[in-house]
Amino acid sequence: MRATAVAAAVLALGSGAAPAQEITIGPQVVLASYREVVSRLRYSGIGFGGAMSVRFHKLSAEAAVTRVKLDTTDGSAATTGFTATQVDAWVAYDLASYASLEVGVVRRSADPELDAQSVGAVRVGARSFYEIGPGATVLFHADYLVAPKFSGGGSASFSLDLGLGLDVRLAGRLRGTAAYAFQRINRKTNPGGTGEIDAPIQETVARVGLALGF
Amino acid sequence: MIRAHQLAGFTLLAPALLGAQAVQNATLRRAQQAYDNLEYRQVLTLAPAALRERLTGPERARAYELLGFTYGAMDSILKAVDAFKQVVLIDPERQLDPNRVSPKAYSAFDVALRQVLLVRQLRIDSTSFVGGQGALPIRFTVTQPARVVTRAVGSDGSFLIDSGAWNGQVNLTWPARLANGDPVPAGSYTVVVDARLGQNAFSASQAVRLSHGLVDTLTHLTSLPGYQSLPETEVPPQSWRPLGLAFLFTGGALVGTLGLESSSLGSGSKRELAVVGGAALVTGFVMTLRKPAPRPASANILYNHLLRDQIARRNQEITKENVARRQQVQLTIVPLAKPAAGGAR
Repeated sequence: MRATAVAAAVLALGSGAAPAQEITIGPQVVLASYREVVSRLRYSGIGFGGAMSVRFHKLSAEAAVTRVKLDTTDGSAATTGFTATQVDAWVAYDLASYASLEVGVVRRSADPELDAQSVGAVRVGARSFYEIGPGATVLFHADYLVAPKFSGGGSASFSLDLGLGLDVRLAGRLRGTAAYAFQRINRKTNPGGTGEIDAPIQETVARVGLALGF
Repeated sequence: MIRAHQLAGFTLLAPALLGAQAVQNATLRRAQQAYDNLEYRQVLTLAPAALRERLTGPERARAYELLGFTYGAMDSILKAVDAFKQVVLIDPERQLDPNRVSPKAYSAFDVALRQVLLVRQLRIDSTSFVGGQGALPIRFTVTQPARVVTRAVGSDGSFLIDSGAWNGQVNLTWPARLANGDPVPAGSYTVVVDARLGQNAFSASQAVRLSHGLVDTLTHLTSLPGYQSLPETEVPPQSWRPLGLAFLFTGGALVGTLGLESSSLGSGSKRELAVVGGAALVTGFVMTLRKPAPRPASANILYNHLLRDQIARRNQEITKENVARRQQVQLTIVPLAKPAAGGAR
């Protein structure tokens, strides 16, 4: 609820204008932190990825793929790390010059498969963007993850994904991009029918990179 | 005393001025000299004698004029009037300057003008107009009430300009159009004014040249006088807004993260948010220091749109006007240098 209020407040601000047609593509460096079930089961790591975005008048779409080697952190109960591969894709429609509605999918898989939960979900939400200067846009998004599926079973009635983004034209077609995403999934499981237990998942990801705009 | 002296001076001066042109006839010269010497009786002998000799038109007019001035000086007004009648019949355009001749002579001349049917001071000015939208002004003076017929006579025929009873100053116009509305053919015309009163008639004329030309078309407008296009973008004033927005967005992400963190999972790393949020704040700070990007000025855009619409509308009207103008004829009428002399018939 608090996140929704924040999103609504941000949506009410700003009046930046987006370009009419554009494609950007570029590589990214990825930082990630991951926690699951209990606070002692935590990982962090660094990886790489890439993102591509397309804008056509009021329609925009983006797809980002990241691959991060998550290692156990100091004090973690986990003994081994794993590699997380995540795909984010969404399509948005601008409701105003500073706000859009979006729908998309998110899928994260773990390798080895049983070392962490693999997740897939539909995301529905909104984002606000504002041009804070020539060629510089800052954005905020908040999405609800609908009916997430987990490799280890279970369900989540409350799952949110919110984030911060930055897009800066550095020179000509070259742009700098940065994106932050925080994902909270209230997963519950019922192993052996003994009753539901909480198995929450929390992930933060930062993607920083360059992109070429066309 | 002074008044009498002035009158004598007027009387002396006028014939001398009028006689400024070379007089060939010896008798007339002697008459002029006698008048200059105030020897009026000798003038009354010499001037009629000169009239019995072979004289040119201007010399005859001058001889009668000497008689008129002399009779005027001798208070023989009726005879002065008769002499001046002969003057205006010979030279209808003759005019006395009331400031340079004696009042007696001038009044006698004026009476003479009223007793003779004349068409004087026929004037036609150069003019140019679009056929059907203008007319040639014609003015003249008729010295007695008379039936006056004014015509334009050319190689293609005679065109009636006016027919009516007139007296004094007359102002007419000739549209130079045929009965069907077309302009009269180009060429030379003579504007003839015939005045008739009983058995008396007088005619005056003026030759003119009428030419046809194309009507000037209007040039299309690229701007409206007094109205200028306004710049369609404007640079907003520099402000802390970019940094403020970066703070707001980053703060939103931070608050959202803190608010959504699971209590059972504990506080997570803020490294990722620090990286991206820091970048956003630095970008906001840099953008605050930079000159803001120009943004569309909607009021100016609307104003320019209206201005362009107005110019386009005006140009459409000009296009229509030019289509009509290309079907029109510009008539130019110029009076020819030497006016034809009029005369009593």
